[in-house]
Amino acid sequence: MNPIDPRIHQVLDGEIPREALPQDLRRVVERLESAAALLAAAPEGRSVAERVLARLRRPARSPVRRLAQWLTAPHPVTLRIRPVWSLALAATLVLLMLLPEERSVPVLGEHEGIAQFVARFPGAHSVQVVGSFNDWRTGTIPLEDRDGDGVWRAVVVLPAGAHEYMFVVDDERWVPDYSANRFVEDDFGRENSVLIVRPVKG
Amino acid sequence: MDVREGPSDAEVVARVLGGDREAFGLIVRRYESGLLRFATRVLGSRDAAADAVAESLVRAYRHLASCRDPTRLRTWLYRIVANRCKSHLARRATGDVSLDDVPPIADPADNEAALERVQQLAVVEQALATLSSEKREAFVLKHVEGMSYQEMAAVTGERIPTLKMRVHRAREALLKALEERS
Repeated sequence: MNPIDPRIHQVLDGEIPREALPQDLRRVVERLESAAALLAAAPEGRSVAERVLARLRRPARSPVRRLAQWLTAPHPVTLRIRPVWSLALAATLVLLMLLPEERSVPVLGEHEGIAQFVARFPGAHSVQVVGSFNDWRTGTIPLEDRDGDGVWRAVVVLPAGAHEYMFVVDDERWVPDYSANRFVEDDFGRENSVLIVRPVKG
Repeated sequence: MDVREGPSDAEVVARVLGGDREAFGLIVRRYESGLLRFATRVLGSRDAAADAVAESLVRAYRHLASCRDPTRLRTWLYRIVANRCKSHLARRATGDVSLDDVPPIADPADNEAALERVQQLAVVEQALATLSSEKREAFVLKHVEGMSYQEMAAVTGERIPTLKMRVHRAREALLKALEERS
Protein backbone atom coordinates (compact mmCIF):
# COMPACT_ATOMS: atom_id res chain seq x y z
CA MET A 1 0.00 0.00 0.00
CA ASN A 2 1.40 3.39 -0.99
CA PRO A 3 1.25 6.02 1.72
CA ILE A 4 -0.37 9.16 0.43
CA ASP A 5 0.78 12.70 1.04
CA PRO A 6 0.11 13.47 4.74
CA ARG A 7 -1.47 16.78 3.77
CA ILE A 8 -4.34 14.85 2.19
CA HIS A 9 -5.10 13.30 5.58
CA GLN A 10 -4.77 16.68 7.23
CA VAL A 11 -7.36 18.19 4.90
CA LEU A 12 -9.74 15.24 5.28
CA ASP A 13 -9.34 15.43 9.06
CA GLY A 14 -10.08 19.15 9.00
CA GLU A 15 -6.65 20.14 10.27
CA ILE A 16 -5.66 22.35 7.35
CA PRO A 17 -7.80 24.11 4.71
CA ARG A 18 -8.27 22.54 1.31
CA GLU A 19 -6.76 25.63 -0.29
CA ALA A 20 -3.42 24.71 1.23
CA LEU A 21 -3.12 21.83 -1.20
CA PRO A 22 -1.72 21.89 -4.72
CA GLN A 23 -4.17 21.02 -7.48
CA ASP A 24 -3.08 17.37 -7.94
CA LEU A 25 -3.50 16.60 -4.23
CA ARG A 26 -6.90 18.31 -4.23
CA ARG A 27 -8.02 15.89 -6.89
CA VAL A 28 -7.08 12.96 -4.62
CA VAL A 29 -9.11 14.49 -1.80
CA GLU A 30 -12.07 14.97 -4.14
CA ARG A 31 -11.82 11.39 -5.31
CA LEU A 32 -12.10 10.06 -1.77
CA GLU A 33 -14.88 12.50 -0.96
CA SER A 34 -16.89 11.54 -4.02
CA ALA A 35 -16.48 7.84 -3.19
CA ALA A 36 -17.78 8.52 0.32
CA ALA A 37 -20.64 10.61 -1.06
CA LEU A 38 -21.68 7.81 -3.39
CA LEU A 39 -21.73 5.36 -0.49
CA ALA A 40 -23.69 7.79 1.67
CA ALA A 41 -26.30 8.50 -0.99
CA ALA A 42 -26.90 4.89 -1.98
CA PRO A 43 -30.24 3.39 -0.99
CA GLU A 44 -29.82 1.54 2.27
CA GLY A 45 -32.49 -1.10 1.76
CA ARG A 46 -35.89 -1.72 3.25
CA SER A 47 -36.94 -0.28 6.55
CA VAL A 48 -36.72 -2.58 9.54
CA ALA A 49 -39.00 -0.41 11.69
CA GLU A 50 -42.10 -2.60 11.37
CA ARG A 51 -40.07 -5.73 11.99
CA VAL A 52 -38.50 -4.30 15.13
CA LEU A 53 -41.76 -2.92 16.53
CA ALA A 54 -43.56 -6.21 15.85
CA ARG A 55 -40.88 -7.99 17.90
CA LEU A 56 -41.29 -5.51 20.74
CA ARG A 57 -45.09 -5.91 20.78
CA ARG A 58 -44.81 -9.68 21.09
CA PRO A 59 -45.41 -10.64 24.71
CA ALA A 60 -42.22 -11.63 26.44
CA ARG A 61 -41.90 -15.35 27.11
CA SER A 62 -41.68 -16.43 30.69
CA PRO A 63 -38.20 -17.49 31.86
CA VAL A 64 -39.47 -21.06 32.40
CA ARG A 65 -40.83 -21.23 28.86
CA ARG A 66 -37.62 -19.78 27.46
CA LEU A 67 -35.59 -22.37 29.34
CA ALA A 68 -37.87 -25.17 28.15
CA GLN A 69 -37.60 -23.92 24.56
CA TRP A 70 -33.83 -23.68 24.83
CA LEU A 71 -33.58 -27.19 26.21
CA THR A 72 -35.79 -28.70 23.52
CA ALA A 73 -34.42 -26.77 20.55
CA PRO A 74 -31.49 -28.26 18.67
CA HIS A 75 -28.27 -26.26 19.06
CA PRO A 76 -25.40 -26.45 16.62
CA VAL A 77 -22.20 -27.53 18.30
CA THR A 78 -18.94 -26.51 16.69
CA LEU A 79 -15.67 -28.01 17.82
CA ARG A 80 -12.61 -26.13 16.69
CA ILE A 81 -9.51 -28.26 17.11
CA ARG A 82 -6.01 -27.06 16.42
CA PRO A 83 -4.19 -29.26 13.88
CA VAL A 84 -1.82 -30.61 16.54
CA TRP A 85 -4.74 -31.59 18.77
CA SER A 86 -6.61 -33.13 15.88
CA LEU A 87 -3.57 -35.35 15.26
CA ALA A 88 -3.48 -36.32 18.93
CA LEU A 89 -7.20 -37.06 18.85
CA ALA A 90 -6.81 -39.22 15.74
CA ALA A 91 -3.92 -41.13 17.38
CA THR A 92 -5.99 -41.71 20.53
CA LEU A 93 -8.89 -43.04 18.48
CA VAL A 94 -6.59 -45.41 16.61
CA LEU A 95 -5.14 -46.64 19.92
CA LEU A 96 -8.60 -47.20 21.33
CA MET A 97 -9.50 -49.21 18.25
CA LEU A 98 -6.35 -51.29 18.55
CA LEU A 99 -6.77 -51.98 22.25
CA PRO A 100 -8.29 -55.36 23.05
CA GLU A 101 -11.98 -55.09 23.52
CA GLU A 102 -12.95 -55.02 27.17
CA ARG A 103 -15.33 -57.84 27.81
CA SER A 104 -18.46 -56.84 29.57
CA VAL A 105 -19.21 -58.57 32.82
CA PRO A 106 -21.85 -61.19 32.16
CA VAL A 107 -25.09 -60.91 34.01
CA LEU A 108 -25.88 -64.34 35.34
CA GLY A 109 -29.32 -65.77 35.71
CA GLU A 110 -30.44 -67.73 38.70
CA HIS A 111 -29.65 -71.12 37.11
CA GLU A 112 -26.46 -70.25 35.28
CA GLY A 113 -22.82 -70.66 36.02
CA ILE A 114 -19.44 -69.83 34.54
CA ALA A 115 -17.52 -72.47 32.63
CA GLN A 116 -13.88 -72.15 31.70
CA PHE A 117 -12.45 -74.29 28.92
CA VAL A 118 -8.69 -74.68 28.77
CA ALA A 119 -6.87 -76.95 26.33
CA ARG A 120 -3.30 -77.30 25.11
CA PHE A 121 -3.00 -77.57 21.33
CA PRO A 122 0.43 -76.25 20.25
CA GLY A 123 0.54 -75.31 16.58
CA ALA A 124 -3.24 -75.26 16.16
CA HIS A 125 -4.79 -72.49 14.05
CA SER A 126 -8.20 -72.61 15.68
CA VAL A 127 -9.89 -74.35 18.56
CA GLN A 128 -13.58 -74.32 19.40
CA VAL A 129 -15.74 -76.10 21.87
CA VAL A 130 -18.92 -77.89 20.91
CA GLY A 131 -21.31 -79.75 23.17
CA SER A 132 -24.79 -80.32 24.39
CA PHE A 133 -25.03 -76.63 25.33
CA ASN A 134 -24.72 -75.49 21.69
CA ASP A 135 -26.19 -78.50 19.94
CA TRP A 136 -22.69 -79.54 18.86
CA ARG A 137 -22.54 -76.69 16.39
CA THR A 138 -19.19 -75.29 15.40
CA GLY A 139 -18.55 -71.58 15.05
CA THR A 140 -20.28 -70.55 18.26
CA ILE A 141 -17.66 -70.79 21.05
CA PRO A 142 -14.10 -70.23 19.83
CA LEU A 143 -11.15 -70.55 22.22
CA GLU A 144 -8.37 -67.98 22.15
CA ASP A 145 -4.62 -68.21 22.42
CA ARG A 146 -3.62 -64.55 22.77
CA ASP A 147 0.01 -65.06 23.69
CA GLY A 148 0.61 -67.93 21.24
CA ASP A 149 1.82 -70.36 23.90
CA GLY A 150 -0.44 -73.11 22.58
CA VAL A 151 -2.85 -72.92 25.52
CA TRP A 152 -6.37 -72.06 24.36
CA ARG A 153 -9.03 -70.61 26.62
CA ALA A 154 -12.69 -69.62 26.64
CA VAL A 155 -14.96 -68.49 29.43
CA VAL A 156 -18.70 -68.76 28.87
CA VAL A 157 -21.91 -68.72 30.80
CA LEU A 158 -23.80 -71.98 30.64
CA PRO A 159 -26.94 -73.33 32.22
CA ALA A 160 -26.24 -75.12 35.48
CA GLY A 161 -26.00 -78.89 35.16
CA ALA A 162 -24.00 -81.56 33.32
CA HIS A 163 -22.81 -80.91 29.77
CA GLU A 164 -21.03 -83.19 27.33
CA TYR A 165 -18.48 -81.52 25.11
CA MET A 166 -15.48 -81.88 22.80
CA PHE A 167 -12.92 -79.60 21.22
CA VAL A 168 -12.74 -79.06 17.47
CA VAL A 169 -9.19 -78.31 16.38
CA ASP A 170 -8.53 -76.55 13.04
CA ASP A 171 -12.17 -77.23 12.05
CA GLU A 172 -11.52 -80.93 11.48
CA ARG A 173 -10.22 -82.79 14.57
CA TRP A 174 -12.78 -83.59 17.24
CA VAL A 175 -10.86 -84.12 20.46
CA PRO A 176 -12.18 -84.80 23.99
CA ASP A 177 -10.90 -82.71 26.87
CA TYR A 178 -8.55 -85.13 28.53
CA SER A 179 -8.29 -83.02 31.64
CA ALA A 180 -12.00 -83.50 32.38
CA ASN A 181 -12.97 -85.51 35.44
CA ARG A 182 -15.71 -87.47 33.71
CA PHE A 183 -16.27 -88.97 30.29
CA VAL A 184 -19.21 -90.65 28.60
CA GLU A 185 -19.40 -92.67 25.45
CA ASP A 186 -21.60 -91.23 22.75
CA ASP A 187 -23.75 -93.00 20.14
CA PHE A 188 -20.83 -93.05 17.67
CA GLY A 189 -18.50 -94.85 20.01
CA ARG A 190 -16.50 -91.75 20.88
CA GLU A 191 -15.72 -90.45 24.32
CA ASN A 192 -17.16 -87.09 25.30
CA SER A 193 -15.91 -85.05 28.21
CA VAL A 194 -18.41 -84.10 30.86
CA LEU A 195 -18.52 -80.77 32.62
CA ILE A 196 -20.59 -79.96 35.68
CA VAL A 197 -21.64 -76.31 35.84
CA ARG A 198 -22.80 -75.12 39.23
CA PRO A 199 -25.10 -72.12 39.57
CA VAL A 200 -23.31 -69.03 40.87
CA LYS A 201 -26.37 -67.89 42.82
CA GLY A 202 -26.89 -71.02 44.66
CA MET B 1 -42.36 14.54 9.05
CA ASP B 2 -38.62 14.73 9.52
CA VAL B 3 -37.79 12.24 12.22
CA ARG B 4 -35.01 14.50 13.44
CA GLU B 5 -37.61 17.00 14.46
CA GLY B 6 -39.72 16.49 17.53
CA PRO B 7 -38.64 15.43 20.99
CA SER B 8 -34.96 15.00 21.77
CA ASP B 9 -33.41 11.57 22.14
CA ALA B 10 -33.25 12.00 25.91
CA GLU B 11 -36.97 12.80 26.03
CA VAL B 12 -37.88 9.79 23.88
CA VAL B 13 -35.69 7.49 25.96
CA ALA B 14 -37.41 8.76 29.13
CA ARG B 15 -40.82 8.06 27.58
CA VAL B 16 -39.84 4.53 26.59
CA LEU B 17 -38.38 3.79 29.99
CA GLY B 18 -41.57 5.17 31.49
CA GLY B 19 -43.55 2.43 29.71
CA ASP B 20 -44.38 4.02 26.35
CA ARG B 21 -43.14 1.20 24.15
CA GLU B 22 -44.43 2.75 20.93
CA ALA B 23 -42.19 5.77 21.47
CA PHE B 24 -39.25 3.54 20.61
CA GLY B 25 -40.55 3.65 17.04
CA LEU B 26 -39.41 7.26 16.94
CA ILE B 27 -35.86 6.18 17.74
CA VAL B 28 -36.00 3.41 15.17
CA ARG B 29 -37.18 5.74 12.41
CA ARG B 30 -34.69 8.40 13.41
CA TYR B 31 -31.63 6.19 13.15
CA GLU B 32 -32.44 3.15 11.07
CA SER B 33 -31.40 4.73 7.80
CA GLY B 34 -27.86 5.52 8.99
CA LEU B 35 -27.53 2.22 10.84
CA LEU B 36 -28.61 0.25 7.77
CA ARG B 37 -26.18 2.19 5.57
CA PHE B 38 -23.34 1.57 8.01
CA ALA B 39 -24.11 -2.16 8.42
CA THR B 40 -24.54 -2.63 4.67
CA ARG B 41 -21.12 -1.12 4.00
CA VAL B 42 -19.45 -3.19 6.69
CA LEU B 43 -21.19 -6.47 5.88
CA GLY B 44 -21.52 -6.03 2.12
CA SER B 45 -25.02 -7.45 2.16
CA ARG B 46 -28.29 -5.59 2.51
CA ASP B 47 -30.08 -8.64 3.90
CA ALA B 48 -27.40 -9.34 6.51
CA ALA B 49 -27.37 -5.64 7.39
CA ALA B 50 -31.15 -5.57 7.85
CA ASP B 51 -30.92 -8.59 10.17
CA ALA B 52 -28.05 -7.05 12.13
CA VAL B 53 -29.81 -3.71 12.54
CA ALA B 54 -33.16 -5.25 13.48
CA GLU B 55 -31.53 -7.48 16.09
CA SER B 56 -29.49 -4.56 17.40
CA LEU B 57 -32.54 -2.33 17.78
CA VAL B 58 -34.46 -5.01 19.66
CA ARG B 59 -31.44 -5.45 21.89
CA ALA B 60 -31.17 -1.70 22.35
CA TYR B 61 -34.82 -1.55 23.45
CA ARG B 62 -34.30 -4.31 25.99
CA HIS B 63 -31.20 -2.66 27.42
CA LEU B 64 -32.27 0.94 27.04
CA ALA B 65 -31.97 1.53 30.77
CA SER B 66 -28.23 0.83 30.48
CA CYS B 67 -27.77 3.72 28.05
CA ARG B 68 -26.14 5.98 30.59
CA ASP B 69 -26.17 9.12 28.48
CA PRO B 70 -29.30 9.32 26.29
CA THR B 71 -27.91 12.45 24.65
CA ARG B 72 -25.36 10.13 23.05
CA LEU B 73 -27.96 7.62 21.96
CA ARG B 74 -26.73 7.70 18.36
CA THR B 75 -23.22 6.48 19.12
CA TRP B 76 -24.66 3.93 21.59
CA LEU B 77 -26.83 2.47 18.83
CA TYR B 78 -23.95 2.45 16.36
CA ARG B 79 -21.86 0.62 18.93
CA ILE B 80 -24.47 -2.13 19.28
CA VAL B 81 -24.72 -2.47 15.48
CA ALA B 82 -20.92 -2.44 15.09
CA ASN B 83 -20.62 -5.28 17.60
CA ARG B 84 -23.37 -7.20 15.88
CA CYS B 85 -21.57 -6.79 12.54
CA LYS B 86 -18.31 -8.01 14.12
CA SER B 87 -20.05 -11.14 15.40
CA HIS B 88 -21.58 -11.70 11.99
CA LEU B 89 -18.21 -11.35 10.25
CA ALA B 90 -16.55 -13.63 12.80
CA ARG B 91 -19.12 -16.33 12.08
CA ARG B 92 -18.39 -15.92 8.39
CA ALA B 93 -14.79 -17.05 9.07
CA THR B 94 -13.19 -14.36 6.93
CA GLY B 95 -13.79 -10.68 7.31
CA ASP B 96 -14.24 -10.31 3.58
CA VAL B 97 -17.53 -8.99 2.39
CA SER B 98 -19.29 -11.09 -0.15
CA LEU B 99 -21.11 -8.38 -2.06
CA ASP B 100 -23.87 -10.93 -2.49
CA ASP B 101 -26.44 -8.30 -3.15
CA VAL B 102 -27.05 -7.23 -6.66
CA PRO B 103 -26.08 -3.58 -6.90
CA PRO B 104 -28.99 -1.27 -7.55
CA ILE B 105 -29.81 -1.20 -11.23
CA ALA B 106 -30.84 2.07 -12.80
CA ASP B 107 -34.29 2.22 -14.27
CA PRO B 108 -34.03 2.44 -18.11
CA ALA B 109 -36.16 5.52 -17.86
CA ASP B 110 -33.48 7.19 -15.81
CA ASN B 111 -31.13 9.49 -17.51
CA GLU B 112 -27.56 8.74 -18.43
CA ALA B 113 -26.18 10.48 -15.36
CA ALA B 114 -28.13 8.17 -13.05
CA LEU B 115 -26.84 5.13 -14.89
CA GLU B 116 -23.30 6.40 -14.58
CA ARG B 117 -23.79 6.99 -10.86
CA VAL B 118 -24.91 3.39 -10.41
CA GLN B 119 -21.81 2.18 -12.22
CA GLN B 120 -19.57 4.41 -10.14
CA LEU B 121 -21.22 3.16 -6.97
CA ALA B 122 -20.59 -0.43 -8.00
CA VAL B 123 -16.89 0.34 -8.48
CA VAL B 124 -16.64 2.06 -5.09
CA GLU B 125 -18.46 -0.81 -3.37
CA GLN B 126 -16.10 -3.32 -4.94
CA ALA B 127 -13.09 -1.25 -3.89
CA LEU B 128 -14.42 -0.91 -0.33
CA ALA B 129 -14.97 -4.66 -0.19
CA THR B 130 -11.24 -5.23 -0.64
CA LEU B 131 -10.47 -3.46 2.65
CA SER B 132 -10.20 -5.35 5.93
CA SER B 133 -13.31 -5.16 8.11
CA GLU B 134 -11.55 -2.82 10.55
CA LYS B 135 -10.53 -0.38 7.83
CA ARG B 136 -13.94 -0.60 6.21
CA GLU B 137 -15.62 0.21 9.50
CA ALA B 138 -13.25 3.11 10.15
CA PHE B 139 -13.71 4.64 6.69
CA VAL B 140 -17.50 4.33 6.77
CA LEU B 141 -17.86 5.80 10.26
CA LYS B 142 -15.58 8.69 9.39
CA HIS B 143 -16.54 9.56 5.86
CA VAL B 144 -19.96 8.03 5.22
CA GLU B 145 -21.52 8.56 8.65
CA GLY B 146 -19.53 11.74 9.18
CA MET B 147 -18.45 10.98 12.75
CA SER B 148 -15.71 12.72 14.66
CA TYR B 149 -12.83 10.63 16.00
CA GLN B 150 -14.32 11.04 19.47
CA GLU B 151 -17.65 9.60 18.34
CA MET B 152 -15.83 6.81 16.55
CA ALA B 153 -14.00 6.00 19.77
CA ALA B 154 -17.34 5.77 21.58
CA VAL B 155 -18.67 3.42 18.88
CA THR B 156 -15.66 1.15 18.50
CA GLY B 157 -14.09 1.33 21.95
CA GLU B 158 -10.72 2.05 20.33
CA ARG B 159 -8.35 4.89 21.16
CA ILE B 160 -8.39 7.97 18.95
CA PRO B 161 -4.77 7.62 17.67
CA THR B 162 -5.54 4.02 16.69
CA LEU B 163 -8.64 5.10 14.82
CA LYS B 164 -6.80 7.94 13.11
CA MET B 165 -4.16 5.53 11.87
CA ARG B 166 -6.85 3.10 10.75
CA VAL B 167 -8.69 5.78 8.79
CA HIS B 168 -5.44 6.87 7.13
CA ARG B 169 -4.66 3.29 6.11
CA ALA B 170 -8.22 2.84 4.90
CA ARG B 171 -8.00 5.92 2.67
CA GLU B 172 -4.75 4.68 1.17
CA ALA B 173 -6.12 1.20 0.57
CA LEU B 174 -9.31 2.52 -0.95
CA LEU B 175 -7.47 4.88 -3.29
CA LYS B 176 -5.27 2.02 -4.44
CA ALA B 177 -8.29 -0.23 -5.03
CA LEU B 178 -10.05 2.55 -6.95
CA GLU B 179 -7.01 3.15 -9.12
CA GLU B 180 -6.85 -0.55 -9.97
CA ARG B 181 -10.46 -0.38 -11.14
CA SER B 182 -10.27 2.82 -13.19
